[in-house]
Amino acid sequence: MVTSILKSRFGLTRRAAVLGLGAAFAFGAPSAPALAQETLKVGLVAALSGQSAKSGEAITRGLEVAIDEINAAGGVLGKKIELIRRDDESNPAKGLLAARELVQREKVVAFFGGIDTPVSLAIVPFANQAKVPFIGVWAAGTAITRNGAAENYVFRVSAVDELVDEAMIDYAVKTYKTTKPGLMLINNPWGESNEKGLKAAAAASKLTIAGAEKFDNNDVDMVPQLTRLKEAGADTIFLVANVQPSAQVVKSLDRMGWAVPVVSHWGPAGGRFTELGGPSAEKVHLVQTYSFSGKLSKKGETVLAALKTKYPQVTTLADVTPAVGIANAYDGMHLLALAIAKAGSTDGPAVRQAFYEIGTYEGLIKTYSKPFSPSNQDALGKGDYMFTHFKGAEIVPVN
Amino acid sequence: MGRFALPASILAGAALVAAYAFQAESYTLFVIALVALTAIVGVGLNILLGLAGQVSLGHVGFYAIGAYVSGILILKGWDFFAALPLAVLVAGAIGALLALPALRVSGPYLAMVTIAFAFIVEHGLIEWRDVTGGANGLMGILPPTLGPILFAEREMALLAILLATLALLGFWGLSESRLGRAMRAVRDSEIAAQSVGLNPVGLKTLAFALSAALAGLAGAVFAPLMMFISPGSFPFSQSILFLFAVVVGGAGSVLGPVFGALVVVGLPELLSDFAEYRLLVFGGLLLVVLWIAPEGIVGLARRLMRQDPRPAQAGGIDVAAALRPAAPSPLAVAGLGIAFGGVKAASDVAFTAQPGAVTSVIGPNGAGKTTVLNMIGGFYKPDAGTIRLAGAELAGAPAYKVARAGIARTYQTTQLFGTLSVRDNVRIAGADPALAEALLAFVGYGGPVAARADDLPHVDRRLVEIARALATRPRVLLLDEPAAGLMRADKDALGALLRRIAETGIAVILVEHDMAMVMGISDHVVVLDAGRPIAAGTPDAVRADPKVVAAYLGGTETRARRRAVPWSGPADPVLATLRLSAGYGAAPVLENVEIAVRPGELVALLGANGAGKSTAMKAVSGLLRPVSGEIVLRDAPVSGLPAHRIARLGLALVPEGRQVFPELTVRDNIRLGASARAERPDAAAFAAELDVLLRRFPRLAERLSSRAGLLSGGEQQMLALARGLMAKPQILLLDEPSLGLAPAIINEVFDVLAELRAEGVTILLVDQMAALALTVADRAYVLESGRVVQAGSAADLAGDATLEAAYLGARPAAQ
Amino acid sequence: MLIVSAIVSGLSLGAMYGLIALGYHVTFAVSNTVNFAQGSSVMLGAVLCYTLWITVGWPLPLAILGALALAGLFGLAVERFLVRPFAERGSNAWLMATVAGGIVLDNAVMFTFGKEPRALPSALASQPVSLFGAGIYPLQLVIPVAGIAVALALHVLLRHTDAGKRLLAVVQNPAAARLMGIDVKRAIALSFAASAVLAAIAGMLIAPLFSVSSDMGLMFGIKAFAVAILGGIGSASGIMLAGFLYGLAEALITSFLGSSYTQILVFSAVIAALALMPNGLFGRAAVKKV
Repeated sequence: MVTSILKSRFGLTRRAAVLGLGAAFAFGAPSAPALAQETLKVGLVAALSGQSAKSGEAITRGLEVAIDEINAAGGVLGKKIELIRRDDESNPAKGLLAARELVQREKVVAFFGGIDTPVSLAIVPFANQAKVPFIGVWAAGTAITRNGAAENYVFRVSAVDELVDEAMIDYAVKTYKTTKPGLMLINNPWGESNEKGLKAAAAASKLTIAGAEKFDNNDVDMVPQLTRLKEAGADTIFLVANVQPSAQVVKSLDRMGWAVPVVSHWGPAGGRFTELGGPSAEKVHLVQTYSFSGKLSKKGETVLAALKTKYPQVTTLADVTPAVGIANAYDGMHLLALAIAKAGSTDGPAVRQAFYEIGTYEGLIKTYSKPFSPSNQDALGKGDYMFTHFKGAEIVPVN
Repeated sequence: MGRFALPASILAGAALVAAYAFQAESYTLFVIALVALTAIVGVGLNILLGLAGQVSLGHVGFYAIGAYVSGILILKGWDFFAALPLAVLVAGAIGALLALPALRVSGPYLAMVTIAFAFIVEHGLIEWRDVTGGANGLMGILPPTLGPILFAEREMALLAILLATLALLGFWGLSESRLGRAMRAVRDSEIAAQSVGLNPVGLKTLAFALSAALAGLAGAVFAPLMMFISPGSFPFSQSILFLFAVVVGGAGSVLGPVFGALVVVGLPELLSDFAEYRLLVFGGLLLVVLWIAPEGIVGLARRLMRQDPRPAQAGGIDVAAALRPAAPSPLAVAGLGIAFGGVKAASDVAFTAQPGAVTSVIGPNGAGKTTVLNMIGGFYKPDAGTIRLAGAELAGAPAYKVARAGIARTYQTTQLFGTLSVRDNVRIAGADPALAEALLAFVGYGGPVAARADDLPHVDRRLVEIARALATRPRVLLLDEPAAGLMRADKDALGALLRRIAETGIAVILVEHDMAMVMGISDHVVVLDAGRPIAAGTPDAVRADPKVVAAYLGGTETRARRRAVPWSGPADPVLATLRLSAGYGAAPVLENVEIAVRPGELVALLGANGAGKSTAMKAVSGLLRPVSGEIVLRDAPVSGLPAHRIARLGLALVPEGRQVFPELTVRDNIRLGASARAERPDAAAFAAELDVLLRRFPRLAERLSSRAGLLSGGEQQMLALARGLMAKPQILLLDEPSLGLAPAIINEVFDVLAELRAEGVTILLVDQMAALALTVADRAYVLESGRVVQAGSAADLAGDATLEAAYLGARPAAQ
Repeated sequence: MLIVSAIVSGLSLGAMYGLIALGYHVTFAVSNTVNFAQGSSVMLGAVLCYTLWITVGWPLPLAILGALALAGLFGLAVERFLVRPFAERGSNAWLMATVAGGIVLDNAVMFTFGKEPRALPSALASQPVSLFGAGIYPLQLVIPVAGIAVALALHVLLRHTDAGKRLLAVVQNPAAARLMGIDVKRAIALSFAASAVLAAIAGMLIAPLFSVSSDMGLMFGIKAFAVAILGGIGSASGIMLAGFLYGLAEALITSFLGSSYTQILVFSAVIAALALMPNGLFGRAAVKKV
């Protein structure tokens, strides 16, 4: 079964063939120089296995659909784009090693970054030093793009934790008249960085935090944490976690019989939130940069159709999750192609300059206009977040 | 010099890699650096696993600690080269600290302690946010500068290569040193290690600390190499990969971790194109590697290499002079006694072993001889009595202190340091290389000195063990059945060796069953029976003592149980052996044994302890695979079949020591006896059969529901018999049914045997108590040193001199 | 209220840990080896039950039996290919081999079952009921009861059936068992099957409370190993007790100190307990022989 998958979905590549011959000295054989390459290689370093595998798959799909479109239109600089992916296993050391391999061995023009903020943080100094554009399409840690480098090669088409946190606070105050929020945070780097962001945003809005509670990915019972927040007088819960623990929070609220408003980061969008969390999951309002539900733009229709054609597993809207991963990656790839075309070369510094010169691009998430500048390497801002909730298996905008 | 071939090749290899590093691009440099760092952790783990024999699944914790100490200090403005030693120290100290709980446990318990440690470190790093940066880790750990040199990837890789080279050389030096040999010794046999004066706890703690320090060293370099560390950089799976690197490379081998690191770091890089399938393929390939080389790559290679065949050379050293104790002293034992669970295993044991003399402690099986030896050797704490040597009181002192006081010993089952060479086995006990060889020549070891002790034939293991004991320059040498399992010629040579040892002025104390040897070389003989001394004196005096003869051959108080009518029946045997040879090592214990048991016959297999009786029983029942020859059970060859298949063919062995299932009830034990039957009885049939059995063994009736472990020895013997009969066997084998039982009970058991005989059950009986066995047997074979020396009817054998000679040695006239 | 909910979830987690840990116990008692991919057996139980029931559409009882049978087969395969080749030679490499086998299985399941967690629906885990003012799912009460029932069933099976007694005979004296015509190799293989089945039961019990995914078993497997060791790996009743202790400790620490320190405190307690009682809380010391 597994081998058949390997054969059907995975064309054995040069390196694997080398492995097949048992040539352990493959380290010593450098790739052909960039100029002689027939394709333009772009890389991806993301968690493709383990807990984040689904997100890694979404990014892959977004990139591949965009690359198909670009290649169908003749490619960039007359060359087809080829995607080379590496699994970082959520381990910063593996991510950094993969980034070096992509840049130095595969001679990628630019590469995309994956899910985990620490992995991206580990890669950032290398990308700046190697002068190869590194485009984040998921990890939301603020310091990734605001890294203090004089020549910053790191761009992002994704949310920024600080901004999301401000948006969540604003939304809660506006919608629920929140005065004393409680934080429910996954005990990982993502939760940690949002704890900082939410506390800062709350302070800016003169809100008192009722408490900040942590839980692990495998926890089945969040009643203790929620009870403490309830006793501290929390009137809104801010939730930062992936879909499975988020569902546990919803179930724990159910068991407590506590009907408190929940405003969530985009984690629940990563899977079948209502299936896992039950009907109450629909009450959770969550941040999104994009949703395939509801009335789609023309671009949205096209991309959804392309996804369904390219991936037979995609049949319903519940299969195009996490939508943000697909959409961010899709737009990121197109923006990169525009930059390379504008630069007229694959030279890193030239492509970087060209990023700043991108004019208008009608993307999936929005119509980008001058998306990047040396003072803002993030294409998405506070205004690009929308609040949504689950309706059955679909994510629909609130209202 | 061959000795330095390994370090020279390490240096050459390192130079080659370093030269390559000068022209490689930074990805390759990174891979090289990571291989080197993994090799350093591997070397550390190799000290722990390969030398000291302790497993750790928590080494990623030490790696992380090293990385964080160095990372935090660098961020605080420390120089890397100042932070490095501190990181090593901190990791080493925590390693020593972890050793405190870790060394109290072993096996899976130890694995758990180290797993728990890894998780504590991981969560500690996350929660101690102010210092460690929490889950998001520490950024901007800048690589060091040294004078004008900025340590970019190339320099960091070279540094890692340098440190890995030093670690490998260090490991080589350690494993060649006395300390390294001592660690291996503790791993191979903690018991024997203590008897040559080593302190296992201290050695293992040191191994833990060194191992942790090396992991910390690698971590300390990892931090500035990556310039970023977070708890995610040190996942638990990394711990398993570290261990894997050592095992795959070959635990204990110097170069093993390098090969292991290449697999663990290099393989995933080769597989990177597999993207999301990489882990799957990597896991599969790890399995393939394990299947191909379960003892590691280096182990596989070594197996294929030829060994240095040089034998030991005396080298002009006067061993006798070297061994002569400076102040010879007698060992005086008085009033020695010990009880286990209320049962007295020894009491009032007293004797004095004079320097320059051989003092033998003999007695039938279960007399308490080894117990006495274990008390003298410090493995048991006596409940009463004194053990004095040169004015020092040694009763109750731990084994290694006893050893240091000048008492050396050998063991019933040899306790060599199996993975060490013969020479190192002797050196570990304190001899320099020249003396070690001279000692080996002195004891008559003729094999290569570089041979691994595990690969030695049995007789050589005995000799090396004696040489090792002598290397401690003892005043007293204790030997526990050194002749067991040896051939006659080897026994004679051993006897001569023991005399030569005594002549140097050492007090030799011998526990031995081989009477020819005991009687031939002893100056003084102490006879124990049931834990008490029953006689003492010169060999001749002891042999003539009726109490001794009774203790050995079975007393005269047993009643005769002759058949009314002599056996007659079909000549086709139920069970026969044809030129059967069997044993445990290279030297067979049994040689060309041919016996036959015919239907309805009761045949006894007689002989002194160590003659090969039990080995024969094990071979026939399939517990021990014969070396050659055939065993025929009801016309079917069964030699080489597993025991459970032979049992199902209708052979039931009632093993030595009863071997009941202690936690199961008496009823369940009996019921299990029916497991071998093709058709197991249903409840009603079982009840009926049980009834019949209980009439034969009325003592069991009232204990049916109690646990078998709570029964007395006699009851357990009845139970074992009942369990054997439950199989409705074609032939019933009984191994030492009288062992350790009171005379009244023995009579009861043998009455049952006579009944069974009368009912036509075919029986093969082994018993040390020859006179007793002959009361029920139709025929008997006498075994001596693994060979049948006499066979005939029970009546003929009862008065045969061969028989007594087989037990107590030939009378002086015959010598 | 908080304490009621903590006790209930501590007991249900503890029962889970206990069942998985019993799996370690069974194989260790018979063969001195364990399946370090025990977490994967937990996952396999839940994934197979989901697949047979929801995806394939079998009736639930049949799906449960089918999942248990397949989990048992997995246990047999683990013993045959990942343990026996090494244990036979006296090598400890089965430790790494079972870990590698777990990696392979988890990843293979990820590609076949899917990368996202799915919910195993259960009527017992949809509507909370109130117990002393704390809201709990009925399943949370069922799990400890079911856990104890399975442990008792195992006990009865071992103590009161012929097959069970033959297995006990192997545990107590393998050589003598062979003399009774008992195939010791087969008994070892069966113990691995039983071990996997126990873990699979735990996986199916917890799945409705949790979710079903290819990596759900990993932490359960590790914590259950801690439980097995803490209880004394040779003592079945000790292990069930240790399971409940462990689950309660986790839940109570989380309730009163916050979850940040749960793992640190619990694992530290494990080390401390083993330092004081090297054979576990309820284990017996092995007799040392010279």
